[in-house]
Amino acid sequence: MLKKILIANRGEIAVRIIKACQEMGIPSVAVYSEADRDSLHVQLADEAMCIGPAPAIESYLDMDRIIKTAQEAGADSIHPGYGFLAENAEFARRCEKEKIIFIGPNSKALALVGDKVRSRQTMERAGVPIIPGMKVIAKDFAEFESEAEKIGYPVMIKASAGGGGKGMRVVYDPKELKSSLEAGMREAKSAFGDESVYLEKFIEEPRHVEFQALADNYGNIVHLFERECSIQRRHQKIVEETPSQVLNPELRARMGETAKKVIKVSGYNNAGTVEFLLDKDKKFYFLEVNARLQVEHPVTEMTTGTDLVHQQILIASGEKLPFKQEEILQRGHSIECRIYAEDPNQDFLPSSGKVLFLKDPVGPGVRHDCGIYSGCEVPIYYDPILAKVIVWAESREVACLRMINALDDYVVLGIKTTINFLKEIISHPQFKAGNTTTSFIKMYFDEGEEKKKTDENLKLALIASAFDSLNKTQVRRTVEAAEKEVFSPWLTLGKWKLGGRK
Amino acid sequence: MEFEFLIDNALHKISIEKKENTFIVSDGEKTYEADIRFISPNIISIIIEGRSYRVYFARDREKRFLSLEGQQFIVQEPPEGGEGLQKDEARSGEDELMVKAPMPGKVIKIDVSEKEEVRKNQTLAVVEAMKMENEIKSTIEGYVKKIFVSAGDLVDSEKPLMELEIKE
Repeated sequence: MLKKILIANRGEIAVRIIKACQEMGIPSVAVYSEADRDSLHVQLADEAMCIGPAPAIESYLDMDRIIKTAQEAGADSIHPGYGFLAENAEFARRCEKEKIIFIGPNSKALALVGDKVRSRQTMERAGVPIIPGMKVIAKDFAEFESEAEKIGYPVMIKASAGGGGKGMRVVYDPKELKSSLEAGMREAKSAFGDESVYLEKFIEEPRHVEFQALADNYGNIVHLFERECSIQRRHQKIVEETPSQVLNPELRARMGETAKKVIKVSGYNNAGTVEFLLDKDKKFYFLEVNARLQVEHPVTEMTTGTDLVHQQILIASGEKLPFKQEEILQRGHSIECRIYAEDPNQDFLPSSGKVLFLKDPVGPGVRHDCGIYSGCEVPIYYDPILAKVIVWAESREVACLRMINALDDYVVLGIKTTINFLKEIISHPQFKAGNTTTSFIKMYFDEGEEKKKTDENLKLALIASAFDSLNKTQVRRTVEAAEKEVFSPWLTLGKWKLGGRK
Repeated sequence: MEFEFLIDNALHKISIEKKENTFIVSDGEKTYEADIRFISPNIISIIIEGRSYRVYFARDREKRFLSLEGQQFIVQEPPEGGEGLQKDEARSGEDELMVKAPMPGKVIKIDVSEKEEVRKNQTLAVVEAMKMENEIKSTIEGYVKKIFVSAGDLVDSEKPLMELEIKE
């Protein structure tokens, strides 16, 4: 078993991993940037070490510093979470060289699946269906231009090292290709440290269906069924669920087997996710392998009863998979909503600042994976994900109702969040009907705008504010009166000596 | 006592008086009795005519943040003198010419230079926050009068980035 795990991440996922460490009795080491001294993961871990200034490139992406910190702390392993160094093959290789266990795939498999162009070639050879598009990196703009013509507009720009929507752009008009490529490359560079991008045919209104896989170090591979992650904004998922409404048992089995094949031909181990696009005719295309623990992993945990972080740690410790494919069953329905620090009324503009108050959603079948607390600051430097609400219920219908209730019960004051917007998505008749495609938000929500505030609630907000003002006025009067009359000890006992207890 | 509040730039008046254990609230249309109390520093419970409401509440300097049934309100007191509103409206024409940072972040790129002619919807600058790039676009047709920031600058929300000039 692993002796001590350094968690090279922050926010809700670092907290999630720390909890798994605590359950397994493994000491955890948090690392943090100067902007994150007061973050939740720092408070919860057994040990915490500062690794540099606020910009991620000087802290959470600083490989040397993180490896050195692991060695100093005596950690024999590193869990990278998602984002940052999670899919960086160079980092995995450095860990291997330094005899630190990287809790994720081996560096060779990571390099292969991380290189979207090369992995597309490999998959095509293995007979896995792929989306038409570039299989090599373009040398110059002219080559991009002619490739785009060949594929046919609209085309999708994708970061070769990418994931999470960073660097991704759809280009409808050849005139926009150049500026979009530049922007995509800049985003790719800042997010992954690698500016390579490639072009792919943009499939309109597809569904995004992915399969969770686990592979041990001995060639045993299982899948833990699908997650449907079609509801997206800026190509980033915000609602995920399982099971998908469109898979029948036959298609599910076929896609699951294809996912296992992808894992196998990549020589992949530990937890990974195979992403597919499913078109209107239910044809599926291999998209990419997400070589990490996914943001949306909890919905799989809820419906299969498997703790994926525990499994990651066990696999990294050299354990064999404890179950066979036929022993893994899906039960009930689970939905996840991602809470982002963004303003849905202003085109999802990031909203940093102080969380003045947080009220967690609670109730039967409700899980809250959270990286914030009342009084914390949300810095401008990192991904705006704050937390996730996950529900489980026997049926999709009840899961939707449960999610709406949970979001109603969830309050974040001080910064803008997606909570209310998510509630409107889940309440939408088209969502209830299961008509979820990647264009859902564009089709049914105008600029993501929320419903107008009701007059009744406005009135109540006024009453509460007036009540507060009235209270304040009275308190001030009482204090003023008291100060005049009472001899206050605060005004006289002036000298509090520091260190006086010694 | 009478109070005035600003919500989404609209002025609202409300009066509230304590009467034994309850309060008499008057919102200009109706007057009613309300049982109001702080349950905790962040929760206000209100009962009006048998209906119960829970209001989440936080204060940050002059701003109050409230949440009811998932709806958020930012409530502010109007500026002293009560003339702030009219001034705001008169200024909004000029405001359009002042290009401001929509959120705190870092200026990644300035796409225009001073005196340059700009089209409506032309990208003027790129501001990054939380790893997402946001393009700042021109809302008018005209010229760039003055640029106040350069690439690499950290900016706060509402910080003027540049000033535009309408084409005559």
